[in-house]
Amino acid sequence: MKNIRNHLAAIIVAGTAFGVVPAHAEEFLVGSEVPLTGTLARVGTGMKEGIEVAADVFNRRNGKHKVKIVTVDDESSPAKAVAAVEKLASQGVVALTGGYGSNNIGPASDAANKANLVYMTSGGVDENLSQRGYKTFFRINNTAGYSTAMVGLLADMGAKSVSIVTSTKEAPADLAKDVEKILKAKGIKVVVHSFDPAITDFKPIINKVKLQDKSEIIAMVGYENDYVGIIRAAKVLKPEVKAMVGVWSLATAKMASDFPDLMPNVYGTALLPYPAEFKTAEGKEFAETYKKLFNKEPDYLGQFGYVQSMLLFEAIARAADAGTLKTGGLPAELRKSDKETLIGRVKFDDKGDNPFFSHRMGQHQSGKVAVVWPKDSATGKMNFPAVPW
Amino acid sequence: MNARSVAILLALVGMYIAVPLLLGPNLYVMSLLVASIAIGGVALAWALLGNLGGMVSFGHAAFFGVGSYVSALLSMKLGVPVFAAMFLGGVGAAVASIAMLPTLRLKGPYFALAILAYAQIFRILATEWKSVTGGSGGLSSIPRLPEIAGFDFGSKVGNYLVIVTIVLIFALIYERIRASHYGIALRAMHDSEDATRIVGVNSTFLKAMMLFVSAFMTGVVGAFNAHYINFLEPDYGFSGLWSTIPIVAAIFGGYRTILGPVIGAVFVYLIDQLVFKSYIPSGHQIMLGALLAGMVLFSPTGLLPWIVEKFKRSRHAAA
Repeated sequence: MKNIRNHLAAIIVAGTAFGVVPAHAEEFLVGSEVPLTGTLARVGTGMKEGIEVAADVFNRRNGKHKVKIVTVDDESSPAKAVAAVEKLASQGVVALTGGYGSNNIGPASDAANKANLVYMTSGGVDENLSQRGYKTFFRINNTAGYSTAMVGLLADMGAKSVSIVTSTKEAPADLAKDVEKILKAKGIKVVVHSFDPAITDFKPIINKVKLQDKSEIIAMVGYENDYVGIIRAAKVLKPEVKAMVGVWSLATAKMASDFPDLMPNVYGTALLPYPAEFKTAEGKEFAETYKKLFNKEPDYLGQFGYVQSMLLFEAIARAADAGTLKTGGLPAELRKSDKETLIGRVKFDDKGDNPFFSHRMGQHQSGKVAVVWPKDSATGKMNFPAVPW
Repeated sequence: MNARSVAILLALVGMYIAVPLLLGPNLYVMSLLVASIAIGGVALAWALLGNLGGMVSFGHAAFFGVGSYVSALLSMKLGVPVFAAMFLGGVGAAVASIAMLPTLRLKGPYFALAILAYAQIFRILATEWKSVTGGSGGLSSIPRLPEIAGFDFGSKVGNYLVIVTIVLIFALIYERIRASHYGIALRAMHDSEDATRIVGVNSTFLKAMMLFVSAFMTGVVGAFNAHYINFLEPDYGFSGLWSTIPIVAAIFGGYRTILGPVIGAVFVYLIDQLVFKSYIPSGHQIMLGALLAGMVLFSPTGLLPWIVEKFKRSRHAAA
């Protein structure tokens, strides 16, 4: 019984002690609700690294204001994402940056809106998120940016027929629908093959592509394990296609090193070439800080986390200077942002979306990733036609 | 008034008055309480099926998901009031469980695996039936709990009071069933189903009834969760976690008792989030795992029976 009392006392003490976190006069607490465990742990950790790099760079650059990041792991769970936001709100954060997965971002940004806190993310592309009319919700990327990049590359290839192999998960399904619509409007023959995320054997689908569709291009819309399964099946069945094109989580250093036999000539969205090359001063500072803090090359997740957080920190500083930070002036200050960033131009519309977002396409070439689309950002020439087998 | 009545009265005062007054302003702790009691509700429904129906289920996510979708869709598309939609969510889950009746012929792990398969089937249906469910994109902006007579049930305290009331009603139903003639027959089936059939008990009918009741309870909790989180997608509504976490909570709290599963869920969730997570922000689940393993080893019957036993011993010693 005594033990139980001790446990309960610990719960109550821990529960009621969250309200107080001392802060320096010029230091602003910024909350970060990200998945560090659970199914989204890898992407959440990548975003968290970018957020920490942004805080480090901002604090060095900005003498007048400092930010301090308070991170809470949402464990890839919607209920815990809500609890994380409420915990951070009770600690006195001035805004939130983070969030991954639309099912977590939706309720978490709801809770942030109720607490009148800005919620900044790059982790969910569900269209509904920005349709709720929240003045506090901001997102630097969206489905349109990914479909623009994929369709742009396919147009440059001169594709006449495309087989889209897509996961039924929310983000891939939305993107595949967008790509299908745009390609059909351009008069390109499109066949869509949806698959349940639980399947691992893609040979039946690839066989259909080979024997029925006879398409020039296979467009893959899914996640890492899906890409590996699709390319592995294609390597076995060898359909007569000219290119294998994917989207996120594909043209990365990790995929190049983990699957050197599957990746050659495969395309995917990529903000950066690998090894990373930055032409701007900000890009170089980001890469150096990233290497200093984490002793590795930056990746796209870190880059998104960095950009969303830096925009937020700069708006916080401006709102503090204008004396509007404590009176709800931060959303208006963020809407004034119009900046050329590491992911391109960012300017928020009334819904908090960034209509200027457009991704780039990379291609695995000799163990490296070259950016091949658009031409003005290209770091290498496209190998076409070319497949991994 | 005997000691039991006093304890129940104190517990009710604590739940309905002390908790809202003391913890109400702390939204974070209230969030954790609401989430943990919702899991407790599913754990209670799972334990009912196991104790009274003799069936171990790995597929309660199916009932949870169906209940949440039915309620969300009725309130969003047909404008059904939220509380009525939640009740109908439970009815929907019970109706869905009719599809599982053939599995009642199976026993032990075969039943558990069959019902797990049903959960997958319902998840795929929710994904593919895009015109109704919104497909993999799910449903957002699901109506929150309403304001009635000036009290906002959609507030954190309101949500808490609703889920506490739901779970208490379910505990009462469970207790009444267990104490009835049907409950005696169901418990007798545990020892020998063949023997009870010989004396005239329709065991298949009783098991089916317990499946419906358990499905209904889980469906209502799922419906509540949909209106609490305001967002739903197949992977979340039918997540395997809605099957496994309640089992862990029920076993930890004492699945042979009525309130053990609920107490187990609240205890496990709160100690994990408030204590372990404050020491190990990322990876605190390892401490929870150790605690669960310790509980199973030192008190296989669970937390509640262990507390009751300790209480009895201390009274005995004092006497």
